[in-house]
Amino acid sequence: MKIEELLVNETNIELFLLGNEAIARGALEAGVMAATTYPGTPSSEVGDVLSGISRKAGMYFEFSTNEKVAFEVAYASAISGLRSFVFMKHVGLNVASDPFMSSAYTGIKAGLVVMTADDPSMFSSQNEQDNRHYGELAHVPVVEPSNPQEAKDFLIKAFEISELERIPVLFRTTTRVSHMREAVKLGPVKKELFASFFEPDSGRYMTLPSSAYGNKEKLIEKMKRLSPVSDKSDMNRIERYGTGEIGFITSGAAYNSLMDVINMRKLDATVLKLGFTYPFPENLVADFMKQHSKIIIVEELDPILEARTRMVAQIKKIDSEIYGKLDGYFSMSHEYSPDTVEKSLSEILGFNITQHYANVMIEEPAPRPPVLCPGCPHRATFYAVKRAVRMLNLKNVIYSSDIGCYSLGTYEPFNEGDLIISMGSSIGAASGFASATSQPIIAFIGDSTFFHAGIPALINAVHNGEKMLIVVMDNRTTAMTGRQPNPGMPVKASGELATEISIEKIARAIGVEHISNVDPYDLASTLQGITAGLKYHGVSIVIAKRECAILRDQKMRKEKKWITYNVDQEKCGKCMNCVENFSCPAISLQDGGIVINPNLCDGCGVCAQVYVCPFRAIEVANNAK
Amino acid sequence: MQNNIIITGVGGQGVITAGTLISDAAIAKGLKTVMSEIHGLAQRGGSVSVDVRLGNAYGPIIPEGEADALIAFEPMEALRNLKRVGKKTIIIVSTEKLPPISLGIRRMEYPDINEMMENMAENFTIYPVDAKKLAMEAGNYRALNVVLVGVAISTGVLPLNVDDIIRALERRFSGKLMDINMKALQLGIQAIVPGHVETH
Repeated sequence: MKIEELLVNETNIELFLLGNEAIARGALEAGVMAATTYPGTPSSEVGDVLSGISRKAGMYFEFSTNEKVAFEVAYASAISGLRSFVFMKHVGLNVASDPFMSSAYTGIKAGLVVMTADDPSMFSSQNEQDNRHYGELAHVPVVEPSNPQEAKDFLIKAFEISELERIPVLFRTTTRVSHMREAVKLGPVKKELFASFFEPDSGRYMTLPSSAYGNKEKLIEKMKRLSPVSDKSDMNRIERYGTGEIGFITSGAAYNSLMDVINMRKLDATVLKLGFTYPFPENLVADFMKQHSKIIIVEELDPILEARTRMVAQIKKIDSEIYGKLDGYFSMSHEYSPDTVEKSLSEILGFNITQHYANVMIEEPAPRPPVLCPGCPHRATFYAVKRAVRMLNLKNVIYSSDIGCYSLGTYEPFNEGDLIISMGSSIGAASGFASATSQPIIAFIGDSTFFHAGIPALINAVHNGEKMLIVVMDNRTTAMTGRQPNPGMPVKASGELATEISIEKIARAIGVEHISNVDPYDLASTLQGITAGLKYHGVSIVIAKRECAILRDQKMRKEKKWITYNVDQEKCGKCMNCVENFSCPAISLQDGGIVINPNLCDGCGVCAQVYVCPFRAIEVANNAK
Repeated sequence: MQNNIIITGVGGQGVITAGTLISDAAIAKGLKTVMSEIHGLAQRGGSVSVDVRLGNAYGPIIPEGEADALIAFEPMEALRNLKRVGKKTIIIVSTEKLPPISLGIRRMEYPDINEMMENMAENFTIYPVDAKKLAMEAGNYRALNVVLVGVAISTGVLPLNVDDIIRALERRFSGKLMDINMKALQLGIQAIVPGHVETH
């Protein structure tokens, strides 16, 4: 599908959309005028789509510096009268939580929907926090779709709820909803010109204690008024299968797994499928419980629906048997699949599971963990750092890493990563290690992460006079989430020209005196820069600048300048350094010799340098394509 | 009716595109289709898999043993996914080896591919295909995924025919790229000759 197809204003067609693409379409149908984000998987594709179509759609869109800024930009737009949408991955909401919490107190003017894409099973995240808790914590409504169609349709409803009580709404997806594809029926695109104008409204948006005191009561009243709305919402529905004997309460992706099991096992089930989960539809759930002696709650991660269901049962004195996580039947961790749901149900309902899989004993093949791409400049930087550390004979080095493609430097053969805790933490933690220990410290941080949260930590390190080497892995993009622009690039999300922010100038202004600029593809100068930085007594920075290999590939293919390398078997001394220590996926050991796969080789030429191949056996191949 | 296909390979091989191609064709035919993509951390070079479910499925995750086909773009990735397949699952596997770096770091070579195929053939119906050769013959290594879709069509495991795939290709490609993909599809369809098929 071409991104532009999402702009069509026809209602009788279906498009095969990823959940995140459906959400971007939902933003058009909801009449969103301003959208902001910081890219983070599993939410990234929403931004990729909006950056491609926002100008044509007449919507303002930006990749903000971080989630907190993204939230503030969207919030200001919403209180200026524009329907606004801010989206991020689950841990991004931690960053944005400061303004998010207080925005519930001030309320908004036009609709504001905050999307959190949670990641059960942590396919691409550091934790699997259940952000539905943020609804309760902030006293804001929570909407949970189960599939792409619902994701689009519920987003529009979330805006309606937001405007009904002038309150931000939390829109929660998970990886399996955001990254599920199905045919989605389109609705009309809303084209309404909102008059955007900010009215201070007698200090309503000033969260000083005097106004916050009264705002809290107003907030509780809003949520009380939304409770019957939740009871009657068509996002909460009842489905009946067979005799409908067993009562199920479910939401989100867990609904899909449950339904697959109900179908496979032909269970007699009545399913209360919740989409508007907070304020909890208490009366709806109470009535449902009264009709079923057995209630099974199927939800991923934390027992949120379950705890509320048990509360309703206690308050309304309903004596149905309730099964879920709190009594140990369902797991509190990782996403559910039809198999895991079936297993839990077999224990509750007492049926046997016949083993479906072939159960063939075959030795597990060698692992294929995530790797840096062929031609990735980070590989060259990690290689040079390892060599410099060895040359200087440094012991007990602490590698304080960060979030981005360079997180993969943690894996073999580099093993250059001892700590990754949050965005920008490489420098903040390095500051702590420097004051707590006397070990050498190397911090790795990418360009986008530096802008996101690295700058305050750098100020802290310089101000406190710590000693560390910071390697800025500047690959001219936000690579890991799919190559979105960042403030270090002269281009905005919409493709228009932007002011390029210089990392070096920021560092100099903060007071970093020892800064080297190196090209990782030139191992000699990179080694030199890193060695000098490691010897410096204070905060030193090496800016390893070279664009992401995937961006470079696209250019090289277009300009037909693509070259590849191969190994001259006669010159090769079979020292194995290239496969053992450089470990590019294009290079492997075959029939006792080193070979380069021309379909994978990116032509960066780093392996051909004497630091990787002392025999100079790696040469440009003639088969340029 | 339900038809479940696991497509697996190495990031960058066009695994996800193969999934959307099959899905596009199925949707155009009026089949309810859901597909899941798990991207993982790496942009390229990591294990990638896609579940495509045609028919009356709700969720995008294929239950254990319920796959009708496993289309593996790489032999090791075929092995890695055997724990998910059932006795009925047919396995289409591209024989091109892509050694993971974990081997080179230990100075190890890729396992014997004939032995791998024989082991699989003892328990499953497998169709090994030199998809790389056929893609290059069609004009571009990147057409590997269309070759493998062609093989899947020729086995009859998908509720789709050649024309369904051609129409899905036409919605996506034109000009020279369309010609290459058409050729890749044809070569994939003809790849399995009688006697070439290994069954248990």
